[in-house]
Amino acid sequence: MPFLINNPFAQPCTTLNKSKQYITISAEEKREWVLINEPHVDLHIVQEVNSSLLLHVIALPKLTDSDDTQGVNITVEHVGKGCRTEIYGMGLLGSKQRCDITTRVLHTVGGGYSSQLIKMVLGDNSKASFKGELKILPNAQQVEAYQTNRNILLSRHAEMVTEPQLEIYADDVKASHGATTGQLDESAVFYMQQRGIGRDTAYRLLLCAFFDDVLRTITDEKVREQLMEQSMHSVDSIIQ
Amino acid sequence: MLEIKNLHASIAGKEILKGLNLTVKEGEVHAIMGPNGAGKSTLSNVLTGHPAYTVTAGEVLFRGKNLLEMSPEERAREGLFLSFQYPVEIPGVSMVNFMRTAVNEKRKHEGKSLLSATDFLKLMREKKALVGMDNKLTKRAVNEGFSGGEKKRNEIFQMAMLEPCLSILDETDSGLDIDALRVVAEGVNALKTPQTASIVITHYQRLLDYIVPDFVHVLADGKIVRTAGKELALELEEQGYAFLNK
Repeated sequence: MPFLINNPFAQPCTTLNKSKQYITISAEEKREWVLINEPHVDLHIVQEVNSSLLLHVIALPKLTDSDDTQGVNITVEHVGKGCRTEIYGMGLLGSKQRCDITTRVLHTVGGGYSSQLIKMVLGDNSKASFKGELKILPNAQQVEAYQTNRNILLSRHAEMVTEPQLEIYADDVKASHGATTGQLDESAVFYMQQRGIGRDTAYRLLLCAFFDDVLRTITDEKVREQLMEQSMHSVDSIIQ
Repeated sequence: MLEIKNLHASIAGKEILKGLNLTVKEGEVHAIMGPNGAGKSTLSNVLTGHPAYTVTAGEVLFRGKNLLEMSPEERAREGLFLSFQYPVEIPGVSMVNFMRTAVNEKRKHEGKSLLSATDFLKLMREKKALVGMDNKLTKRAVNEGFSGGEKKRNEIFQMAMLEPCLSILDETDSGLDIDALRVVAEGVNALKTPQTASIVITHYQRLLDYIVPDFVHVLADGKIVRTAGKELALELEEQGYAFLNK
């Protein structure tokens, strides 16, 4: 899959086909992908028995192209038992950027696990949306499925639309979903200032902490470290 | 060290401090007591520059400089420390990262070189021992999941790390059992030098058994209405603030 890149800084992908991509993760297979600043992603991933998927979708501000738009559309379908899916999303947007993430996770058979954690920080006039559909079909007993969306608005003009959806048709499952949108905790900012930490630095520490549980789950150390550094610089460009 | 003259301050348009005067010199410990709503916490918030409060009149000199013109972080770097009544939890920000940033910002301000990772950890070890801070706590995120007593001890630990000239302890005794209170007080006493001063804000006399003040002030309705030596605290403990209504 040439468009699923593990080292995005070395070779950003621009040749992505706009039509939907179908991918099958075969039985017992483990796949990990990190998608960074892909302008358009439309994936339909089918997971066979006991396969696992760890997917990161990262949107960072592109300093040269200030009003770019990103659309991410991901469907994951468990067709075999015992599948595991983890989807992490991180968006840090400024200027007039826009990022729309849609996920659909379908548990059609039992015994599977899925979790989604999508975190967005929006500055300036940026806009983002998250639409998450989590569906557990009647035969999919003993499924564990979670969906969380957390967003921070740094500007009065930034806008977030979130639609978390949970549809459960089986009766023996563990599932939850939740979404919050708010501002940075000003009492924490003041606490840090009282210890001599400047306002900008306090913001940077808090925002990096906010993204930490998304970034630390990237297993490739090199990519993880690069992204942590990159997001720190990006935070600086957004809070100024 | 600190000179407060005719300080008036309000929050959301309501005047809380109504002409407060207070002078604190090096080496002194001042206790501020008073009934609820007198303005004790407002005083600590105004001194540290909390954005919700507006100073409407008066002036505050801290080490000869106009304190009220400085940002909260500048006040801290100049050596003003507040032990918060309710320390804030900061999930995801580690104690080490937080403290190293704070210590180095202060050193930068003082024109000193930044501490290396090794020197910083050495300093942490030293100060942890001084205030009896548990190793487990400094490995966690700032105040996250700390008990009330652990949070207060963490405040004193941070005070030890930052070596302020003036510390304000805002109800450091609230929520502490007697053992925790003693440990916290011992930490404060261990940090006391002839060049530093403290303002201890408290409801109860019991903290002052351990941190012995040179002066006790009664704050009521936004002003200091009475000042005396440490014996005043005992008198207040026995008789309450009824004299204020006479």
